[in-house]
Order: sequence, then C-alpha cells, then structure tokens
Amino acid sequence: MTAVLALLLALAGPAAAGEFRLPPVTRVTLENGLRLVVAEQREVPLVEMQLVVGAGSAQDPPGDEGVAALTARALTRGAGARSAVELARAIESLGGEVSAGAGTDGTIIGAEFLAEDFARGLGLVRDVVVEPRFEKDEVRRARDDQVSTILATLEQPSAVADKCFGAFLYGNHPYGRPTDGRIATVRDLGRGDVRDFYERWYRPNNTIMVLVGAVSPDEAVAAVRQAFGAWKAHPDALPVRVPPPAPVTARRVLLVDKPDATQTQIRFGNVSLKRSDPDYLVASVGNTILGGGFTSRLIEELRIKRSLTYGAWSMFNARLLGGDFRVGTFTKSPTTVETLRLALSVEGDFRTTPPDAKGLDKAKAYLRGQFPLRLESPEALAARLAELEFHGLPQDELTTYESRVRAVGAADVAAVAARRMPAPGEVAIVVVGKAAELKAPLEEAFGAVSTVPAAECDDPSRLAR
Amino acid sequence: MPRRRRLLILAALALAAETARAVDLPVSDRTLANGLRVLVHEDHSAPVVSSYVFYRSGSRNETNGQTGIAHLFEHMMFNGGKKYGPGMFDDLIEGNGGSTNGFTTKDLTAYLNNFPREALPLVLDLESDRMANLAITKSNLEQERGIVMEERRLRIDNQVVGAMTEELSLAAFVRSPYRWNTCGFMEDLERITLDQARAYFRTYYAPNNAVLVLAGDVAPDAAFALAERYFGRIPRRPPPAPVDGREPPQEGPRRAVVHKAAELPAILMGWRGVRVADEDRAVLDVLERLLGDGDSSRLELDLVREHEVATETSVDNSWTIDPELFTIYAQAAPGKTPEALEARIEAVLRDLAEKPVPPDELAKAKTRLRADLVRSLKTVSGKANRIGFAEVVFGDYHAFGRVESEWEKVGPEDVRRVVGKYLGPEQKTVVTLDPVRPGGSKP
Repeated sequence: MTAVLALLLALAGPAAAGEFRLPPVTRVTLENGLRLVVAEQREVPLVEMQLVVGAGSAQDPPGDEGVAALTARALTRGAGARSAVELARAIESLGGEVSAGAGTDGTIIGAEFLAEDFARGLGLVRDVVVEPRFEKDEVRRARDDQVSTILATLEQPSAVADKCFGAFLYGNHPYGRPTDGRIATVRDLGRGDVRDFYERWYRPNNTIMVLVGAVSPDEAVAAVRQAFGAWKAHPDALPVRVPPPAPVTARRVLLVDKPDATQTQIRFGNVSLKRSDPDYLVASVGNTILGGGFTSRLIEELRIKRSLTYGAWSMFNARLLGGDFRVGTFTKSPTTVETLRLALSVEGDFRTTPPDAKGLDKAKAYLRGQFPLRLESPEALAARLAELEFHGLPQDELTTYESRVRAVGAADVAAVAARRMPAPGEVAIVVVGKAAELKAPLEEAFGAVSTVPAAECDDPSRLAR
Repeated sequence: MPRRRRLLILAALALAAETARAVDLPVSDRTLANGLRVLVHEDHSAPVVSSYVFYRSGSRNETNGQTGIAHLFEHMMFNGGKKYGPGMFDDLIEGNGGSTNGFTTKDLTAYLNNFPREALPLVLDLESDRMANLAITKSNLEQERGIVMEERRLRIDNQVVGAMTEELSLAAFVRSPYRWNTCGFMEDLERITLDQARAYFRTYYAPNNAVLVLAGDVAPDAAFALAERYFGRIPRRPPPAPVDGREPPQEGPRRAVVHKAAELPAILMGWRGVRVADEDRAVLDVLERLLGDGDSSRLELDLVREHEVATETSVDNSWTIDPELFTIYAQAAPGKTPEALEARIEAVLRDLAEKPVPPDELAKAKTRLRADLVRSLKTVSGKANRIGFAEVVFGDYHAFGRVESEWEKVGPEDVRRVVGKYLGPEQKTVVTLDPVRPGGSKP
C-alpha cells in the first residue's frame, strides 16, 4: 500500500558557497504508524540509521527493573535467519555496526553502513528490530553481561556519582531507577520478561526511524516501506507517561563510601525542565556561561583561580517528562568541603545576578559557532533529528537555532536561571569518596549526612531523600 | 584502554583492485624558512576550519625526575603569551564561536581549535603568540601543577584500568621513556621547577619542531600566506637531542599485580611490538582486529562466548615512533580468575601461531581497519588530526595514504609468523588486578 501521509519539508534553499545549510528533511508516516525522517547528506559515503522505540527504563514493571536494558542488549544477539554469531559476522564483514541501548524514556537502535551496502544493512536492522530471536541462552548471556556491567560501574567513581545522584534526586519516580536495573532485579529476569517487554512496546506506532546519509529520500522511503511495512502496530504500544518528578525542597546530603578513594566526586542539583520546555534554549545559553564551555564561571573559580579540580561543569539533563539541572566536579579528598561550598556559591550567585554583556555575547557566539561543527557527522545529525521528533519539538528547531540564540538577552537569562536553576539551599548533594575522612567535615558544614556503600546507592527505596 | 565503541563505516572498498583506496585526503604542504611545516586540506562542505599545532615532543622526550612535564606544558600553553594575556586564549576562541583543547601522548603534544572560518587569522595569531612568547611564571606553574596532579588522581590513581596500564609499562620497559605514563609520577609533578619549565619550552616549542595543520573551508595559498604572516618571524632554534628508545632484550615473562578495590578481576598483557615505520606493523594491525574487534573476533568468541571466562576483551596495537606494547585486556566474568583468562588468551594466540587464518576472516579484519580509517575522517577536526599525526609519528604525512595497501598485502602466513615472532609466551608481561574489598579482605 502507499503512504498515508507524506510531508516534504524543503528547509534548504540553494546554498551559497561556504554558507552553512542543513540538508532538506523528508518526513513520512507509514500506514503502520512508523514515523520516518530522512535527510540526504553526501559528504561521506555512509548511511546512518537510528530508531527510537518510545519505551525505556521508565516502562520497567516494578520488581523487573532493568528489563528495558536487557531487551535492548538481547536484541542484537540473533535475529531472523541468523544466530548471534552469524549476525555479528554478517554485520562486521560489511564493516558496519548495529547497536542497541535503553535510556529512560526510549530505546535507541543505531546502525551505520556503507551507502553501497544500504540494502543489506537495512535488511539486518529490520531483522534485529522486527524479528529478534531472544533465544534462551542468549538472553541468559545478555543478563550475565548486564550484571557484570553493573559491577564494573562500581569501579568508576564518576559513574557511581552520576548513578547515585539520579537515585537520590528522583527517589521512587521512574527516573530514579538505574537504566541497567539492580543486581537483585536483573538476576531474576528471563526470556519471558524480555519477550513481554518487546511485544508490548516494540511496535511501529511507538517508533521513530531516522536515516541520514548518502541515499536519496525517495529510495530511502521506498526501502524502509518495503522492509518495515509488514511490521504490526498495536494500540497498547504507546506508553502512558507518568507525572513529572517532584523537586527536593530542602538540602539533602548523601555520602557514598569508596574507602580506597583519594579523590572525591561531587554532584548537586534539583529537578528542572523537560526538553520540550520553552525555556530550554535560554537555559542552555545560561548554562554555557555557568558551566558549559571552557571559560565558564565554574572553571574560572574552581580550576583556574584555585587549582581545586581538573574539571567542573553544569548541565540541564532535560528528558521527556521533566529533568534535572546538575553541577559536577571532583577534587582531592582534603579539599572536598571547600570545593563543594565554592561550587554551591558560584551556582547560587549566578542565578541571582544577571550575566554581564561580555559573558553573554561570548556564550552566544560559542553556541552559534559550534552549531555547524556539532552537526558535521551523519550520526550527529541523525541524533538531533530523532530528538526533535521524539520530544515533539518544532520542525524548524534547527534552522531557526542561530537566530533564536542571537535574540537571547541578559534579562531572559536571569529570569530563566532564577526559575530553572535551584537555590543552593534546595539541592540534593551526592559526594562519592572516603567516608572515614569526609563524614565529619561534611556534617559540620552542611548538617545531617546519610552514608551508604557504593554498591547500595542504586536502590532509591533505601535512600532517605 | 576501556572498550572502544566502533562506529564502522567504509568507503569505496578495494576488493580486487589494489589501486582503489577508501581514503583520499589531498594535502598541500609548505615549510617556512624557520622550519615550521604547514599542511592544508581543503574541504568546503561547511564554513568551518580545524587547526592543529603538533609539537614533536611528548612524554618520550622526558627524563627521570621530570616525568609529566610534557603534559604539564599542554596546560601551561593556555595561560597567555605576550600579546594575549592570561585567560585570553580561551576567551577569544570561545567568543569567536570556536572550541579549543590540547592533548599529550608519549610521542607528541597537540593543540586544536575548531571554529568558523572568519576566526582563522585570530586563531593563528593566538597560536603564534604562545609559540613565540609563552608566559612561564611562578603563579602559572603552581596553578597548573595542582590541576595536573588532580588529573593524575582521576586517570591513574582512582581508575583501575589506568593503574594497570601504568604498571604494565613499568614492568615491560627497562630504559625506554615509554615506561612511564604521560601523566608522570606524582613525586616528579611536585618538584618540577620554573627553570626546568623554561628550559623545556626553549627546547621543544620551536617552529622547526612543530607542524601546523589546517583542514576545512580554506584555500592552501591563503593558508600559507597567513602562516607566514603569523609564524614567519619566530626564530628557528637548535633541534632537540634525539631520543634513545632502545631496550635490552626481555628474557622470559614478567609479572606485576595491582591491588585495588574492584568488583571483578582483570588481566592486562603486553608484548613489545614494533615502531610505526616497521613493515610488521600492518600485520600487527590486522592481528589487533582478528583478536579483538567486534563480537565475532577471536577473543570474544573464545573468552566471552565459548568459555565464558571474560565479560569483555580489548586489543590495542599503538602506532608509535619507538616500539610500544601490543596489549590485550580482559575483564573476568564473576567467579573467574585472571589465571583462567591468561590460559585462554594463550590458547587463542597458540591457535593463530599454528593454523592459517581463513581468507574470509582475514578479509573481515582488513575491512574493519579500513572502515575505522574512514570513520576517523568524518569531521574536519578528524582529518586535521590524522594528517598531523602521520607527519609527526610516521615522519611523513604521505604515509597515511599507504596504510591501506600495507594492510592489503598481509597474508595468512604473515599473521602466523608475526604471532610467533612477537606474541610468544616468553615475551609477555602480565599485570593482574587483584581486587581488594573495603577493609582489605578479598571478595
């Protein structure tokens, strides 16, 4: 059958020499609900494919935390007529790559093939997405792999800090779950759980597919229709999204014990905006001044003036339902309290003082200048196009980006910073380091501190928020 | 050395004709009177330019007592020159829409900027100012000393694989400067003096010891004129003394153990390989892919899939001026030991030394090498990086155009020979991670 809806958006006029132009974007929805986005980009002879299935760890059933991640892991372990090893050989012999991983609100299946292998590559991707085998032994292997990954993460202080911060800030909201689940929940997962998750959510009407590369839109649309047209939709595939997470209303400190650490990882922040929030662009300009680029206030105060750290940053982790604003840094154990205090005060000052014109102009020039560089590779452009579609952003989001950045004023930044960045007295703070040395000074500086071993911070129910 | 994610791509694959190459990277070159090499690659697909300044000095050029000074300099270089004072480098680059960074390897130190093409004259002015007149002051040195010590704590002291990598080189090399890490020893970082810093700068930060690479929306003639204008007046300096990287022969296997808090044991094995210019390098490149690239590679199939002793493996054959280590890393599955990992790795290598590799497997390894080569050229920054790397490490950027045909020539017999020659059980150095649980007990 033919397309129900074809929407062609000619975003780009004829390009003047040396001017940055995005390629035209074609959007088509197949009859089964699959939303297809295609951009032709011929600088490199590649085709990048990204599929976003609209279900992630937020859709893990209670008690089965980690099943979205396990489903993604098992997806590429045998599909269609090929066993796991045969599939790996087929992909790798083409010099291609197919990978799948779950996030909080969605699961991304990414693939890249030589343009001349487009048809074969698309066939392999189709098998993985539509006909995964989920053989018992392969699911078992994927599960063991997931358990090992959870264990190995404990050896990386920075990853421990990020994971614990998520659990501590979001608590029992689905965003508080570690995407990989917890060892206790993953150990009990099996083929049936993976099948159920797959059958429920992996449906064309819950999927976005983006194709970027050296392929014409007509050819791409026809090939995708041929490969994915028979994939069956299901009305229950669209997740009912839960309410946004609630912010913490007072300062809470969690100390995560790593007895061998000589360096402390620090994170603090609070719940903030979602990706589709109209404040997002102004917030990202403000964040660039505070902790985005290499000349940010945090870098200036923590690194350049005082040599307390090698790195300091802030970010809006903006998701589908809500998100957070967080500051991160690290320092040697003895300067932990000094560094944390200073980072809190830099953040607090920023949200109450409008940026000076010079700092604002620099941040805007930086974001505009880096914009073409950040869309240079096919996978980068594909990821941005998928983001637009997934979050329901305006289709001209990319083409109007530079002019919208240009229009941001100091008063806009000040208003959004006050609204979207937390007051230093209302933040969740996570400190990962040697508790024996840190507990007393942290309590003296910030009041009550709860302490957990690194291995236990992934269970929100055990963290008094 | 953590697992590298490989997004693989491939251009015009030469299946039969050896002349067709996946990579075509035209470069215009010029050498200024003061010895500065200038290499330009034109790419007008977007109005952006990437600039790299490579200095031919890395931790390889350091001496005992001053380890870490090359990397310390990478930091010092952002603190101002004569025309542009402290903090201005980053401010001006970002204020003109650019981003900037630096990195240090055992062989080189590089400074890169990615920016809108209008900023090119400014970028070259900034780069030449710090090459000619870097401000080396007490306060700059003390500031960066603290930061690089923090970076060492991040990358080595509080990172299991970082600590294992440091131990491996220390055990495998006796007199080569490749024995220490680019971060340097904490004891040296504490003591590097202002005079040593000044001497280091005078010796290595000279135009005749540097390569400027520009890739992107710029014409070669305009680029050469700008290079002459900004760098032409910087005087040439006496060439640095050559580095002697020779090693005494290794008689038998060597072992070291890292005791650190960790959940899973692991093993890191190294064998002395070859310098980048050696004709066996291409064979070791192919071996790297046969052994450890992708879910259908030998180590993944044997250690992870068949015997289930490892959760992940990775293999690395570095491209370096002097012979570096060919390394294999494997993380144990829960309940498995480093001994079990080592036994399987040895068995896999023995098999490669005894039986010829099937043609389709060899072809797959070569396809993956070429794919990664093209993948490294997706951005103007990637292109500039590769061109400069080839010029500094191979000694000639043209070498980059030859690697594909070098791979193509590798046959099954070469693989067998090279495994026997370099990766024998008597030539290995083994670092095992012995996980220590909090309180000193073992898991």
